[in-house]
Amino acid sequence: MPVISLFAWMLVIVFLAFIACMFEDLESDTGSQSNPNSQVQLAPEMGYIHRYYNKAISGEGLSYALACTIAGTIALLLLLKFEPVYGPKAAILAIPVGAAVGSISHMIRASVCYPGREAAHKRFEQPIYLDVFYGHLVPIATHNFIAVICITGIAYIQSHLTVLSGVSGTSNPFPLPLLCLIWGITVGAIGSSTGDIHYGTEREFQDRPFGEGRRVIYHGQICRYGDCGIRTSKDVVAFCAKYGGPATGLTFGLIVLFENWRTVIGMMLGGLTGAAWNPGIAAGCGIGLGIAVAIVLIVLNTWLVRWARKKYGPFVGE
Amino acid sequence: MEPITLVIILVCIIIGGMLGSLGVHLLPVGGAPAAMATATGIATGCVMLMTGSAVTGLFTASTVATFWESNPSVVLVSLSGGVGAMLMMGFTMLIANLIYIFGAGVVPVSGRAAVDPITKESQTEYKTPRTDGHGVPNVCFYSGMIGGLAGGFGGALIYVILMSGEYAGFSIETAVIVALGIFIANAILAAYNIGGTIEGFHDPKFKERIVTGLTCAFVVSLMCGILVLIAIETGTLGAGGVL
Repeated sequence: MPVISLFAWMLVIVFLAFIACMFEDLESDTGSQSNPNSQVQLAPEMGYIHRYYNKAISGEGLSYALACTIAGTIALLLLLKFEPVYGPKAAILAIPVGAAVGSISHMIRASVCYPGREAAHKRFEQPIYLDVFYGHLVPIATHNFIAVICITGIAYIQSHLTVLSGVSGTSNPFPLPLLCLIWGITVGAIGSSTGDIHYGTEREFQDRPFGEGRRVIYHGQICRYGDCGIRTSKDVVAFCAKYGGPATGLTFGLIVLFENWRTVIGMMLGGLTGAAWNPGIAAGCGIGLGIAVAIVLIVLNTWLVRWARKKYGPFVGE
Repeated sequence: MEPITLVIILVCIIIGGMLGSLGVHLLPVGGAPAAMATATGIATGCVMLMTGSAVTGLFTASTVATFWESNPSVVLVSLSGGVGAMLMMGFTMLIANLIYIFGAGVVPVSGRAAVDPITKESQTEYKTPRTDGHGVPNVCFYSGMIGGLAGGFGGALIYVILMSGEYAGFSIETAVIVALGIFIANAILAAYNIGGTIEGFHDPKFKERIVTGLTCAFVVSLMCGILVLIAIETGTLGAGGVL
């Protein structure tokens, strides 16, 4: 029974990871952060006056590490204060309040980016649109809140797993804010690596031919018109939520799933911290399973690339 | 502390730092141009990607290190970290390719090699003109997996040598922050050495710059290692220290 509980908590973590990374990517699209923002930054210089939000606090990994660590630190302070009185129920208050503080701090950083960056574009006659400025702050904060609350929830579960699952020795030794830092960096790195492609390659250059890499001469010439009227960054979110966002969530969800799965299976094969517990076998089995998953990934990618080459064929056009 | 133990700690920190640097050089990093499918590789910076994968490995390594009541197996914990980082890289590159292929309709193709050195698939005719390749082709995928393994192993090696009671005996929190600090210093140096984009071990840039990168990693890891040894000897960060 405790093992089932351990697997159940693992699946809760995976679900939260999926939601967290999906909303992380969508938040970066809302405010236009990270790599594709280079085009939004370049557009006025190319004569393309636009109504995109222009936010690049830092790389996504660092900005999310900061927001999540702030959330984790506030949550830990509240837990230290209220856990002795209310027990585990204190988390019901601590996690949302921590995440709210983290997301508000993120929104403040986002709010100073837009006027600063667009003011620097005055020489290219790029205006600061106040409706764009006000209209994007709340979506940025809300998307960020969902991502940060999920990361804080994951960190809470992982640091309290022994109490929650009833299996001794399963809690991660890292404190809650440190786990928030680790998952914040990871979620940002993944959101930047995968989800940005859908925004940068497809959505920003939707008026260019589908199926080719964006040539250097296109850079800065972003698509400024939506299905109806002039496009803002909020229109980008609705588009990327159909493919780029869920795919990004899937990446983080799969990573967390297989990282936890191979560790738990290894622990079971090693005797699950009972009398017959053998740490060497537990660690070795976990490593072996990880290598097996890695081989499957290599085979899958080789097959995928081969399929794409066969299906799409060589480049045709100028 | 025994001099031989101090030497082992120093050597492990240097090996860990150099493996981190090697890992960064092996990753297929396309940076901002890759987000527009203008360059081959993963659409983010070297440091961000390597740190993201290394901390994922570090998370698993920290759990595995708790399997032992004291003195965890250095090799097994480091390997756990390496495999964790490798899986992170693998999933990221696979889903990135899914978005390139189904979201943008481009074929993963190398911009630096006319023929894939591993699968022998031709690349040039699949490449969009006036781009530096796009997506994560097979050779870059293999290179990224090896890079993740090397970087994750290096990061976890520094962590386990610092937290093990048999060696430095730092608290877990201090060990992970120090390990991350040394690792990120090496990753940033490697990113400067690469200077933009790199596709992996088949990229001519790799052969040109790896020696400089590893030499720099050796020097910075040695300096960090000496600082750690001073901290151990003065009791500043170890058991009974201020942290």
